[in-house]
Amino acid sequence: MRLLKIAALGATALVALSSSAFAQEKLTMWSRSTSEAFMPGLIKAFNETHKTQIELQIIPSSEMVQKYATAAAGGSAPDFVSLDLVYAPAFAKSGTLEDLTDLAKSLPYFEHLSKAHIGTGTYEGRIYALPMSADASVLLWNKKLFKQAGLDPDKGPTNWAEIEAAAGKVNALGGDIRGFYFAGACGGCNAFTFMPLIWASGGDILVDDGKRAAIDTPQMHDAINFYRDMVAKGYVPESAKTDSGKNFFGGFATDKVGLSPIGAFAIGNLVKNYPDVDFGVTFIPGKDGGKASFAGGDNFVVTAGRDNLEAAKEFLEFVYSLEGQTLLAKGGSLPTRGDVAAEAVKDLDERYKIATEAMKMGRTPTSPVYNDIFNSSTGPWKQMLGQVFFGDDVKGSVAKAQAAMQSILDSQD
Amino acid sequence: MNSGVMTDQQQQLTDGRPRRRRTARQRRKQLVGLLFVAPALALVLLFFVIPLGMAFWMSLHNWPLLGKPRFIGLGNYARLLDDAQFWASMRFTVYYTLIVTVAIFSIAFPLALFVEKTRSLTKLYRTAFFLPVVVGFGSASLLWAWLLDVDSGLFSPAAERLGLMDQRVNLLAGFDTTFWSIIIMVVWKTAGFNMIILLTGLQGISTEVQEAARIDGASPWQRFRRITLPLMRRTIALALILSVAGSMLAFDQFYIIADGGPQNSTVTAVYWIFSQSFGSFRLGYGAALSMVLLVILVFISVVQLRLLRNPEGM
Amino acid sequence: MARTRTAPAHRLFATLRYHGFGIGASILFLAPLVWSVLVSFKPSIEARQPPLPPWPVGGFSLQSYDNLAQYGAGIWTYAGNSIAVSLATVVASVLVSLLAGYGFSRFQFPLKNVLFVLIISTVMIPFQSILTPLFLILTKLGLQNTLTGIVLVYVTLQLPFSTFMMRNAFDAVPKEIEDAARVDGASVFAVLTRIMLPLVLPGVATVAIFAFLASWNEFLAALILLTDQKKYTLPVLMAAVRSGQFGTIDWGAVQSGVTLMMAPCLALFLLLQRYYIRGLTAGAVK
Repeated sequence: MRLLKIAALGATALVALSSSAFAQEKLTMWSRSTSEAFMPGLIKAFNETHKTQIELQIIPSSEMVQKYATAAAGGSAPDFVSLDLVYAPAFAKSGTLEDLTDLAKSLPYFEHLSKAHIGTGTYEGRIYALPMSADASVLLWNKKLFKQAGLDPDKGPTNWAEIEAAAGKVNALGGDIRGFYFAGACGGCNAFTFMPLIWASGGDILVDDGKRAAIDTPQMHDAINFYRDMVAKGYVPESAKTDSGKNFFGGFATDKVGLSPIGAFAIGNLVKNYPDVDFGVTFIPGKDGGKASFAGGDNFVVTAGRDNLEAAKEFLEFVYSLEGQTLLAKGGSLPTRGDVAAEAVKDLDERYKIATEAMKMGRTPTSPVYNDIFNSSTGPWKQMLGQVFFGDDVKGSVAKAQAAMQSILDSQD
Repeated sequence: MNSGVMTDQQQQLTDGRPRRRRTARQRRKQLVGLLFVAPALALVLLFFVIPLGMAFWMSLHNWPLLGKPRFIGLGNYARLLDDAQFWASMRFTVYYTLIVTVAIFSIAFPLALFVEKTRSLTKLYRTAFFLPVVVGFGSASLLWAWLLDVDSGLFSPAAERLGLMDQRVNLLAGFDTTFWSIIIMVVWKTAGFNMIILLTGLQGISTEVQEAARIDGASPWQRFRRITLPLMRRTIALALILSVAGSMLAFDQFYIIADGGPQNSTVTAVYWIFSQSFGSFRLGYGAALSMVLLVILVFISVVQLRLLRNPEGM
Repeated sequence: MARTRTAPAHRLFATLRYHGFGIGASILFLAPLVWSVLVSFKPSIEARQPPLPPWPVGGFSLQSYDNLAQYGAGIWTYAGNSIAVSLATVVASVLVSLLAGYGFSRFQFPLKNVLFVLIISTVMIPFQSILTPLFLILTKLGLQNTLTGIVLVYVTLQLPFSTFMMRNAFDAVPKEIEDAARVDGASVFAVLTRIMLPLVLPGVATVAIFAFLASWNEFLAALILLTDQKKYTLPVLMAAVRSGQFGTIDWGAVQSGVTLMMAPCLALFLLLQRYYIRGLTAGAVK
């Protein structure tokens, strides 16, 4: 008898555990960890003023795709996702996303929404994703360290030679302080911060409508040599070699790094969490001047088949309102609606304006296999970067990566 | 755990109990027996046998996580023949298994000899050596990821401070340092386990035999080689099987500590399957890779079981 | 001269050597654990510096635990999930293997040996290779992203060991004890719960410890099968903590998490060492 009782108890415990059987009262939304500085605040403001309630979960950036795809396949996906815009094509193609075309067209300011976002959110003529937050890559420098090194703290570098010279001077301060930082084992981070070096110098990455990889170019080799030089001269901390994007901010936020190419998200993050760091923002330059940026950030997507379009519209209207855009901007996301952008950032300092400008000229490589090529931790882009920045065989590595990327691009149906 | 397989198979041969005449009561008893084992069977069927069949079925398809699967016959298998990373991962996994097994045994055996005879504090030493075993591989990996960190960790800053190195070296930036760091971590984590297994074998050897050899003037080394080792054949084989099977499936430590780096050089077979299945969502392809790994593993297990059963084979 | 060394001196030397090695090796094995626990009590800023010395210089602090507690849905959600999953795995493993062990030990039925080998031989197959189908099956059953689903998987993974263990435990009980009870008219169930259960309790303890440790520490299946942040178990949470917040890794929080995860394992082992070792050697002596 006692055994039966134990069995019954065990069974009840098991039933109690499967709480998924109960209907959710709130809509759930996922966002990646790089948006930690502004998404919680935005959602809080929304919940306080609306009957619709959204519950936000922050997912580690590197696990977002795996989690969302598995959850979607398993039927436990969140209602809304703030999804890195480069993934929109892949998810749209797989049928995970609700068609937002009618919703989008019904917004009177549709024409003013970020083109880069709508671009990656459009698949076969239909719109599956709308701008949520915007992030453009820029170059940050530490004014305090610049001053100590005898550099003009108010003037950022405008070409590679100036970056290298400034990094050298900061590096000479000695101790733990290094001139330059990038997360050397992170494919996604370097797509964001390394590609603009190439674009600004006249090169490209994916061509022919994203069907062909074109990385074995003179511009690529120049940019590689630029980084290799700084690594060889010891301007880059040892830890950069193995940073898979987990600690890309650790050095700059603690006044240990002179310059770092980084996303505009970092501005809000620094202002909020590291108010003592005095930093400047400028464009990522080309070899001999010029400027470019990766237009990144997140798209808002709705998981298909949930009948949540009305709530989605309610939420988006809040996001695109002046209040929403201002909240986003304050937290470090750039405005996503052009016609109120100036108004939304007017109270913020010069640094946000530079980032806003970078966003306008930003570019985004688009491909349904973006993850496999660039972001995957076992993918060809990340592998190549490690070899060319810190290894010996630059030529061979680039050629190998070019072939590997092309074969992935060719193998998509 | 693996020994269960053998003991049962052996038992099967000797299990010919005389059958009694079947009565109604007897039949009912049969039914009751089946009822008792039914929950276990149901679980194994549902969560092991069926998934295994499905894995094979999936391996014949182009099976995306989302969207419709498409039958492609042996397409995945043809493709994996050309998958350089898979074979590199396979080679790395075998290399790791060989090295780590030798390393574990060369630490665990002396430890087992050390704690074999009970003296004062021996129990305490045994416990100390064993404690890392009960810490999970995940926690142990997180712990060592920190110890190995170049800026906040222990080894590199300590070496710098002791003057062994001019500057901090990122241990995870090169293949060799990454590889050996993880070997050391795994030895730390599993030596105690193998020590206990070997200890059981050691204690099974009668002291008279050892004593007789000692009186005959055999040196400690001779006694170890001629008496201890041969008599422990089965125990060693068991520890070997467990160690090899575990190492061939290594994942946690390489995923958490090294991220498969530098440059994919520490991506193990399971890691690559994980990355293909849940990073690139090629479930069919991942299933095909799993099937290959499974065949290799079953092959290794069978070979080892043979060696274990047949003393001349070793 | 060496030759003049007397017997007591020699013995003293041997004892010193013995304990010298014992203590030295013990330190090597225990140091990482101790280091981690000590660092978890440093204030955040200090925990980012190399742990030399390992103890908190600026006084003990619970800041790292505070930081950890604020991750995602709060540490208690995750600790609660882990505890629920582990306890449910323990209870279910014990129940299922108790029944199966009894069935295999005491009854004759068709295909008995084949079925036993079927259960035991699953240990030879890496569960990683069936993770994807497992995911799909759990989805079909509506158990994906539920703690129940993951408990069922863990129980199945433990089955070869626990069934083997329990059958051995029942085999060791003399048949006469049971027959005497049956003559008195006790039902099959009563025999199992009243007579047999107390006799196989050590086996039950072994099964329970192994089930607890395995499910408490399991990482890969939990990473794949649990997608909702509120359902994460501790190992999955810790992987997220390790991947940093705001672009920096809080090593203090990581070590406080490691300490939290290690503590129950170490405590359980130290309390029930006997049963654990017995389970471990059950295969070796057979």
